Amino acid sequence: MTTTAPIGAGTPADPPAARRTGGRDRAVLRRIRTTPSTGFVFVLPFLLVFGLFMVWPVVQGLWMSFTDTSLALRDTAFVGFDNYTEALGDPDVWSSLGNTVFFTAVSSVPLVLVALAMALLVHSGLAGQWAWRLAFFAPYLLPVTVVTLIWTWLYQPDLGLGNQLLTTLGLDSVGWLSDESVAMWSIAALTVWWTVGFNFLLYLAALQSLPSTFDEAAALDGAGAWRRLWSVTLPQLRRTTALVAMLQVLASLKVFDQIYILTKGGPNGSTRPVLEYVYDVGFTGYRLGYASAISYLFFALVIVVSLVQLRLFRQED
Amino acid sequence: MSSRPPAQEMSAASDPVRRLSRRRLLRHTVATAGALLAAAPLSGCASPASASGASSLSVWDLFQGGDGMLMDDMIEAVSQGAGGFDVDRTILDWGPSYYTKLAMSAAGGRASDVAAMHLSRLAGYAPGGLVDPFDLDLLAEFGVTHEDFTPAVWARTQHEGTVYAIPLDVHPFIVFYDKEAAETAGLLDSSGELAPMGSPEAFLEAGRALAEATGQAGILFGHVTDTAQSWRLFAALYAQTGAAFTLPDGGPPKIDVDAAVRVVTFMKQLFDGRTNPNDLDYNGALAAFTSGRGGMAMLGEWELPTLKKAGIPLGAAAFPQVFDRPAVYTDSHSFVLPHQKDPDPARRREAHRYVAEMLKQSLTWASAGHIPAYQPVLAEPEYTALDPQSSYAEAAKAAVLDPPNWFVGAGSNFQNRMCQPLQSALLGNTSAEKAVRQMVREADALLRQPNPVA
Amino acid sequence: MSATAPTVRARRRPPREAAGSPLLLGHGRLPRVLAGTALAVLAALWLVPFVWAIATSVQSEQDVSTPGLSPLKGAFTLDAYQQILERGNVAVWALNSFLIAGLVTLITVVVSTLAAYGFSRGTFRGRRALLAVTVAAIMVPPQLLVVPLFEQMLLFGLVDTYAAVILPQVVAPMMVFILKRFFDGIPRELEEAARIDGASEFRVFRSIVLPLSRPIVAAVAIFVFIGAWNNFMWPFIVTNDPGLMTLPVGLATVKDAYGIQYAQSMASALLAALPLIVVFLLFQRRIVNSVATTGLGGS
Repeated sequence: MTTTAPIGAGTPADPPAARRTGGRDRAVLRRIRTTPSTGFVFVLPFLLVFGLFMVWPVVQGLWMSFTDTSLALRDTAFVGFDNYTEALGDPDVWSSLGNTVFFTAVSSVPLVLVALAMALLVHSGLAGQWAWRLAFFAPYLLPVTVVTLIWTWLYQPDLGLGNQLLTTLGLDSVGWLSDESVAMWSIAALTVWWTVGFNFLLYLAALQSLPSTFDEAAALDGAGAWRRLWSVTLPQLRRTTALVAMLQVLASLKVFDQIYILTKGGPNGSTRPVLEYVYDVGFTGYRLGYASAISYLFFALVIVVSLVQLRLFRQED
Repeated sequence: MSSRPPAQEMSAASDPVRRLSRRRLLRHTVATAGALLAAAPLSGCASPASASGASSLSVWDLFQGGDGMLMDDMIEAVSQGAGGFDVDRTILDWGPSYYTKLAMSAAGGRASDVAAMHLSRLAGYAPGGLVDPFDLDLLAEFGVTHEDFTPAVWARTQHEGTVYAIPLDVHPFIVFYDKEAAETAGLLDSSGELAPMGSPEAFLEAGRALAEATGQAGILFGHVTDTAQSWRLFAALYAQTGAAFTLPDGGPPKIDVDAAVRVVTFMKQLFDGRTNPNDLDYNGALAAFTSGRGGMAMLGEWELPTLKKAGIPLGAAAFPQVFDRPAVYTDSHSFVLPHQKDPDPARRREAHRYVAEMLKQSLTWASAGHIPAYQPVLAEPEYTALDPQSSYAEAAKAAVLDPPNWFVGAGSNFQNRMCQPLQSALLGNTSAEKAVRQMVREADALLRQPNPVA
Repeated sequence: MSATAPTVRARRRPPREAAGSPLLLGHGRLPRVLAGTALAVLAALWLVPFVWAIATSVQSEQDVSTPGLSPLKGAFTLDAYQQILERGNVAVWALNSFLIAGLVTLITVVVSTLAAYGFSRGTFRGRRALLAVTVAAIMVPPQLLVVPLFEQMLLFGLVDTYAAVILPQVVAPMMVFILKRFFDGIPRELEEAARIDGASEFRVFRSIVLPLSRPIVAAVAIFVFIGAWNNFMWPFIVTNDPGLMTLPVGLATVKDAYGIQYAQSMASALLAALPLIVVFLLFQRRIVNSVATTGLGGS
């Protein structure tokens, strides 16, 4: 520890740093460093917004979950655990949680695998790098409403591209967003199209920073492209894959925007994710207190998922 | 009609709505620049409406398509001349999204000056203070009093004796019919209008006769995956039995199960899947009727413009009396004053004047099929000349709206949840008894939720 | 946890992706053809929605509502665009989006950079605890806070103001963390000399640390801007006045009297998509880097 001169450690009693400076300077430095408020002013603006718009709502939300706070203008009463017991017995909480988990499963897998495939293909050195990058990443730059406008049109029952294609092929048209068993898949497809570019870039960056020595060595040993992909490149991408998968699962669990705009959770609640149920209960149904309780139950789930993933991730290391 | 003399204003202002958007752009740019300079983000002065002091009246509604264009025409009409309004119209999606935004903007205290609301939704807004009361004296000053409305409708504009909504129309759930098919089936009276039915048997018989006349379906009704239609039909028929349907907070709902079972059984008999199809969705029923594949359709009168375009010999009638007393399921588009924290009295006055002036444009609105709630219009010869609108104008007198509670009304979760068991029953997946039991359970579950507006 | 410093170095390295890594495919022709085909198919799949949308937007509503697989069913016309631009809403919302995303980015970058420097170099009491809380806050999804945040805005009387849209978006613990790790990696010798010469901490920050951190600050700024530009849920919840809405919120919420018209709807979608696509074409490398560094920075 002492020999590597931890440049960043920066405590006043840091011997190597002190040793390098002269005696008089050391005194000055100590005076600067030991002023209790050093650096605090820098952190202050952040602490202010952090306290106001992060800590406050976290605490306030927790408090609200024990009250019957309403959107309507009236007094609020403390109701203890009523909201939580109601939430645990509310079938819509469970079905929306189920929908959220289902969406996470069917969107995350292709979002990781397709991104990996795209990155490997683009990285393989074919001409036109920027064009591929643009094609795959451009949708990620679109605001959600643009995406839903375009896909509403693609999924339009009579004139949309999807059903036009099917009818031209002599197949039955599909209720892309109106059939309970299809709607969530349609939304997952749209989501893959929209956000895969982000994961693709993460993979591409990882591929570009891989040391090429292993690959070169394997090539000299006569290993073919497939073999090098499986035994050299993919194992090296393990860490990245773990990270991308983790970020993706957390992002998918928080789905709201595209579903709210496209189906409002329908048909018959089959696509309603838990965040939309929070919106429906809290704003459409005025019951902000109850909505907070559902948020906190979901929050607990998110934390559990994060911790489990973090654990798996650590084990990978 | 009390339209003003055509003022020779600037001709470029032919479209007030569009013109306003550009002004709004300017106003917001200025307001934003101001907010940037003020650099006092917590002051809340960034609200463009208050910053600019602009006098345009902001109005919200949920009318698109035919209704939306007629609303544009009416706004244009009241924007003409010296006393013309400067209207800033915002249209949001029909249904829950509109009502959610309306409530949120009212809670925020910076709501629009006037908004449209289904009267059936008022119970979710007035008790919670999300809409502000009307000043009846002020309205009277502009020529509108409670005597201008039918008692059945006026009674629903109030909460604890205070008036919170001014109805623009009454829009009942009615029957449209093919005049030729009805003639062949012998269902018309001497004046060529649909003759009264009077009993469930007569209605069933009418269906059979119509099916014979068209060679295809008799009565068309689209309800599959719909979140209102089967409730409308049920509510109409149930009200005709004279039984009570009330929703007291905390539950249980007061529903006459026997009457409800009778109604659902009749609905199942009527839509037996042979004379009258039982598996149509809304658009399917509409398309079948407009292409002459059925003799009669149960629809809201708002489909009138669409049906008129179809070129069938179109007749319309208030929903026929089948059980003991006349009752027609309706709702009413009304005007409300969304809650504002510090309403400017002058603007509020303008809002009242606007509502009064819009009521006087009701004849335009009636061309969409709606029955004007403002009675003086009904007496005008232009209205009686409207065909088939005038043939169901009577419906307003037998108007039955949703039972009042905070969670009911047009586009509500309540209607949706009532429709699920009814759809199963009509599709033959469940019995009338089971469907009714589930309706009672659903209503009870909704009533058990703590009431957030009380 | 060592992915910060490489960002600077990565930029100095010759652009590897230009040369690609031909080794991966070896020298055989078959893999190359296969890879090329797969890539072309994927890219085509990803471009089809754009093509279909563009084709729809340049036709009349009547032509659009004729069934058929051909993307162009009628004469070319820019009517849809003209209609949209005349209505003016899209311009208002685009302006709002620029202002809001711009301010969010500016405030976030200033606040986060300062905080990161304070956390990196500061010695104040409670620094470790505050840093731990900040890092823990990365786990809090902002979407879960919309209900209490709305209640808070009601309390402050800020619903339907720019302040309400902007302020809750400037809290970015993740960005603080990324910047702090970067600052930790800058050798301190450079600063010590200045300190001994009597330079204030702020001067040290501004004239020594900040210039060295330009790439990472740019990356953070780009990342925050894209996020704010595309943010939907919070602006959707806190704005009801259409004049205050951002592009995504306005397009999703406000309708027009005529109902859905697909040519117009595609035209407005494409107009709304244009700004960031243009920005991407101009700053491609920077944006790609920012996603790579800040996206991976979370580890």
